[in-house]
Formats: sequence, structure tokens, C-alpha cells
Amino acid sequence: MHWLVIVALGFVVGILVGIMGIGGGIIVVPALVHFAGMDQHVAQGTSLFIILWPLGLGAVSVYWKKHDVDLRAGIICVVGMLVGGYLGGRVAVGLASGHLESAFGLFLMLAAVLLWYRAQPKSIERDARG
Amino acid sequence: MADLSKNPIAIFGTSLVVGVASGMFGIGGGVLLVPLLVLIHHFEQHRAQGTSLLALVPPTGLFAFLTYYAAREVDIRTGLLLIPGIFFGGIIGGRVAVKLSARRMRRVFASILFLLGTWEFIAPMLRH
Repeated sequence: MHWLVIVALGFVVGILVGIMGIGGGIIVVPALVHFAGMDQHVAQGTSLFIILWPLGLGAVSVYWKKHDVDLRAGIICVVGMLVGGYLGGRVAVGLASGHLESAFGLFLMLAAVLLWYRAQPKSIERDARG
Repeated sequence: MADLSKNPIAIFGTSLVVGVASGMFGIGGGVLLVPLLVLIHHFEQHRAQGTSLLALVPPTGLFAFLTYYAAREVDIRTGLLLIPGIFFGGIIGGRVAVKLSARRMRRVFASILFLLGTWEFIAPMLRH
């Protein structure tokens, strides 16, 4: 894949990161598998490499100014995710690529359902408040 | 019954589950952390998104990354090329999100994600 295409792909992913408040790996992984023909494990490892860097920093500053950040909960989540990430990584490395990709597909479907439903009551309150 | 919604231990438990998913699927975890903060811990939507982005600023996936790196499952060059776009795109997306109610946009995104998930689920079976 041409390097400019990869940079452009990153840009599109970044916009989604800011809008949805998500990390972007969920888009990067399938894009690398299907556009770049990468193996599922390598795509996931590359995605993890990307999110090692504070990519969400620009987006966080926007939320911070609007007082939309819970510092304490954020710090707790960092610790939990560090430990959990190690455990999950150990499991994934031991799986066959095809199985891992199918499991990733199931995970995306679950994430999609969660995204759909969380759009409901709380955000309406917020919209009403303006 | 005690309200566990903002209990630090309950939040820790949630983030541990998110971390396992993050390591297993090579993702940041925000896609799971945001809805769980809203649904279980009753965070307001924008606050959940801001908090999730904050949790992803430190290298939260460091240990997950190291397991893949040790197994030689990382493409550093492609990774480096993706970084600048994600950073600058993130600033633009963040500005868009705090201005508009992203509800409809999120539903479009959820639909795309679901189709993508179905494809990923089936694709390995079609290759055999």
C-alpha cells in the first residue's frame, strides 16, 4: 500500500476518533487486513503500536475545556486496561489467525450494538440542555 | 442496595474487562469503555467520551503491545505512517463532536461497524 494512502487512512480514522471518543483501532485493524492484506495478528499488533502514542491528546484537550473529563475514573481505567491488555494479548497470540479474525468480527458486532444503544437517554438530556 | 455506579472498584473491574478485549483484539478499548461508562456507571455521554480519551492518552496498551512485539506480529513502518493523520484528524473530530449532537452520526457509524463485524466474522470461513 502506498505511503500516502496509509497517511490518508490515518486521517480518516482520526476524525472518527474525535467524534466518537474511541481509540481508532477498531477501524485500523479491519482496514489493514482488507486494504493492506495484512495478517490478522500483525494488523492487531500494529494497531496496538499506534495507540501507544498519545494520539487522543488533541481530542482530549477539546473535551477538557468543556469539563467533559472525569480525571479520577480515567486514572483508574488506565491501571485496569494495562493489566487486562497484557492478559488479552497473551490469549490472542496463541490463537490461529482465522479464529482470531472471526472473534474480532463478533466483537465488532457487539461494539456496534453498544454504540447504537448508548445513543439514547443520556445524550438526549444533553441535547436538551444545549 | 448500594449504588455501585461511580464506585472506584466497579470502574476498575469494568476497565479490566476492557483491557482484556483491548489486548485480544488489538484495539484501544474506547469503543467498549465509552458505552460501559454510560450504561453501567451512568456517565453523561460527552463526559464518557472525554474520560475514555483521557484513559487512552498514557500507553494503556503497553503490555498488550509487548506480547505482540515478542511474537513478531507488529508492522512498525505502517504504524508510524498512520500516526500523524490520526492525531490531526482527532482534533478535527473532537471539535465536531462538542458542537453537534452526534447521535445520528453515531448510529450510522454503529451500522457500518455491525456490517464490518459480520464481514470479519464470515471472511475467514470463505477463504477455506
